[in-house]
Amino acid sequence: MGRQETVAMILAGGQGTRLGVLTEHVAKPAVPFGGRYRIIDFPLSNCTNSGIETVGVLTQYEPLELNRYIGNGHSWDLDRNNGGTYILPPYQSITGSDWYKGTANAIYQNISFIDRFNPDFVLILSGDHVYKMDYSKMIRQHQETNADATIAVIEVPWEETHRFGIMNTDEEANIIEFDEKPEHAKNNLASMGTYCFSWPVLKNYLILDEHDKESENDFGKNIISAMLADKQSLKAYTFNGYWKDVGTIYSLWESNMDLLDRPEDINLHDDSWRIYSRNPIRPSHYIGPDAVMDRVSVTDGAVIYGSAIHSMLSDSVFIEEGATVKDSFLMPGVVVKKGSNLNRCIVGMNTVIGENVQVGPEVEGGIDFYHDERVCTEGITVFEQNLIINDDIKFAANSMVYAPTADDGFNEIVIGLSELELMTEV
Amino acid sequence: MVIDAMGLILADHDHVTLSNLTQPRALAAVPFAGRYRIIDFILSNMVNSGIKFVGVLAESKYRSLMDHLGTGASWDLDRMTQRLFILPPFMNTSLRRGDPTSNLSGLLDYVENGNQTHVVIADSNVVMNESYTDIYKAHIESGADITALYNRDGDRFGSPVISLDFDSNGRMNDLLLNAPDTAKATNFLGLTIISRDLFLNILGMMIARGQDEFSQLTLLKMFKDLNIVGYEHRGRSLRINSVATYYSASMKLLEKTTLDDLFRRDRLIYTKVKNEAPAEFLEGCKAKNLLSSDGCRIKGEVENSIFFRSVQVGKHASVKNSIIFQDVVIQDGVILDHVIIDKDCVIRTGVELKGQPDYPVVIEKGAIV
Repeated sequence: MGRQETVAMILAGGQGTRLGVLTEHVAKPAVPFGGRYRIIDFPLSNCTNSGIETVGVLTQYEPLELNRYIGNGHSWDLDRNNGGTYILPPYQSITGSDWYKGTANAIYQNISFIDRFNPDFVLILSGDHVYKMDYSKMIRQHQETNADATIAVIEVPWEETHRFGIMNTDEEANIIEFDEKPEHAKNNLASMGTYCFSWPVLKNYLILDEHDKESENDFGKNIISAMLADKQSLKAYTFNGYWKDVGTIYSLWESNMDLLDRPEDINLHDDSWRIYSRNPIRPSHYIGPDAVMDRVSVTDGAVIYGSAIHSMLSDSVFIEEGATVKDSFLMPGVVVKKGSNLNRCIVGMNTVIGENVQVGPEVEGGIDFYHDERVCTEGITVFEQNLIINDDIKFAANSMVYAPTADDGFNEIVIGLSELELMTEV
Repeated sequence: MVIDAMGLILADHDHVTLSNLTQPRALAAVPFAGRYRIIDFILSNMVNSGIKFVGVLAESKYRSLMDHLGTGASWDLDRMTQRLFILPPFMNTSLRRGDPTSNLSGLLDYVENGNQTHVVIADSNVVMNESYTDIYKAHIESGADITALYNRDGDRFGSPVISLDFDSNGRMNDLLLNAPDTAKATNFLGLTIISRDLFLNILGMMIARGQDEFSQLTLLKMFKDLNIVGYEHRGRSLRINSVATYYSASMKLLEKTTLDDLFRRDRLIYTKVKNEAPAEFLEGCKAKNLLSSDGCRIKGEVENSIFFRSVQVGKHASVKNSIIFQDVVIQDGVILDHVIIDKDCVIRTGVELKGQPDYPVVIEKGAIV
């Protein structure tokens, strides 16, 4: 393997508990997004478009679907002779075996992988953010300022600063303090979880961090704090553009609606910055003779006979005559049968909604068996993947409909599981 | 049954031109069904039938064809053991055989280099989703020299129609070009199977005689000397012999049964990957009976039409019964009915174009109207 100036490491091992049943069998980076993408398409495509040729993907939680999806990186042009994509799960060694204990520990366990490329810089990226970013600009700033670490930051509204890791900077963009989710923020520059490190410096701090028994092995909390304490040179790189951590049901729903309402924010039609994905092998989409299409995004293999209003429809979705889907995000392969009304829903892959099913905040007398306001907020209802939902069911809003466990067995609401779709993507 | 055959696709057809649509490109590279080109169906059929070597004989205007095919990766034909060969006109300077500049030398080399027992030869004017296993099996069992695919679709599909007649033993005994009554006849469906040795022999003789254009008609005309038998195709096929038949074949795609027959889950049709963003149906649009593709942005009224990738339709525009190729911009208020618009055109506000089902208006590639 040849030397690589930059190696990117994508943290893709997190479970994403706040996405509820959507991450029951799939790691968060592999969750469908925007009709024909998975969330990890964004950082992967950003790498390709930024000229980064070596990408390590750190997986841990439910990696099957994610591994299958990434394959050898071909779809992102990352199947290269020199460099390429590497899936990096935790492994066993002579000294024992360890799960990745934290984000920093995940990189620590792969020091020898990175060393093989002898890079100057290592980019640490998150596998579950939706944004278009030219990393090469950040790397250039990192080089020009001779920084030890450069952290991408984005301006967030002051009232939301308590949700983010806030970077307090001086007038030369030096980071002087790191406030994790502050109650009274001094600044509104939030860390995007995107870091550029000079590799020898990072390697040193990873080893020190590993020996610190008190450490939580987290990049923000531990590595950055330790570097600040040691007065290392940490610079902020301000990113302007759309960026979203799709960590909750609401933010996943909202960011899909953003694509409909403000498509220019993350312009997916931009030829100079394509977002690549694995492409379903499906014909063009078909809109039936009595269909209604009003502010809808739709892609290959979808067939619409009913009404779709302000919704994101993924590939191979089928909406029967007389069914209405509104303010919803349907993942690939979802079937909505006639007479059903879905309002504010996220429906997982290949789930079949029976006839005359009613979902939405306006529905009265809906069953509240699946009601779950910890995960589903703002009137949004979520269906797990592969469910078959019985006819004539009404759901209370904020439900999270899941497959019964083996002990429970099917009930009269979830009457079975749809057949596993054969994977037909290139 | 495992097919032991190499594939040969004839990208051009002596008798088939589609007016402005084949001006800039080979027949095989003509866009079809929203996100495909005609050759995608033939290539996918071959690959799905287990054919591992495919040659594409290109006579002219093959730039867009080569661009589309690339290394063959989209059809898994860029492998150690599965390959795509593009055979453009060949300038042979060696004096090894007859005419040193024969266009057929490249084809001969391709066929010689194969180690399969048979060759499946396909024209580019028929679209279907078919496995070639059954016809191959029939060919082996009959022991014929050549097996030709035909059907009795009874459709009015325009010239050229090659009608084949067979004697009571099933051996071909007559060939009619554009016979008066083709609707009832058994009409050639653009596909033959022949043994590689016999094909090499025929090619060798053609080169020796200084003939340098090969078509399947050449083979079929040998019915007196060779045992040619037919194999009837009963599935869906769409013939594309003229602009009018291209138009009617495309419009058949708006029928669910046609779509289901062409795009089966068990035999996928592959095409070049474009990574286009999803299509957007924007505020104020009306869309009915439409086959449309990724990247489209629709604000106007669209009906009974086929849109390729990234078509833009402006506000209050009306597009009916039309086929719109990739990257066409239809500005606000434009009215189109029975129109085929080739790639990269811009139709400006104020324009109104109307054709007839038999004579759709065709706007050439890149035009600004």
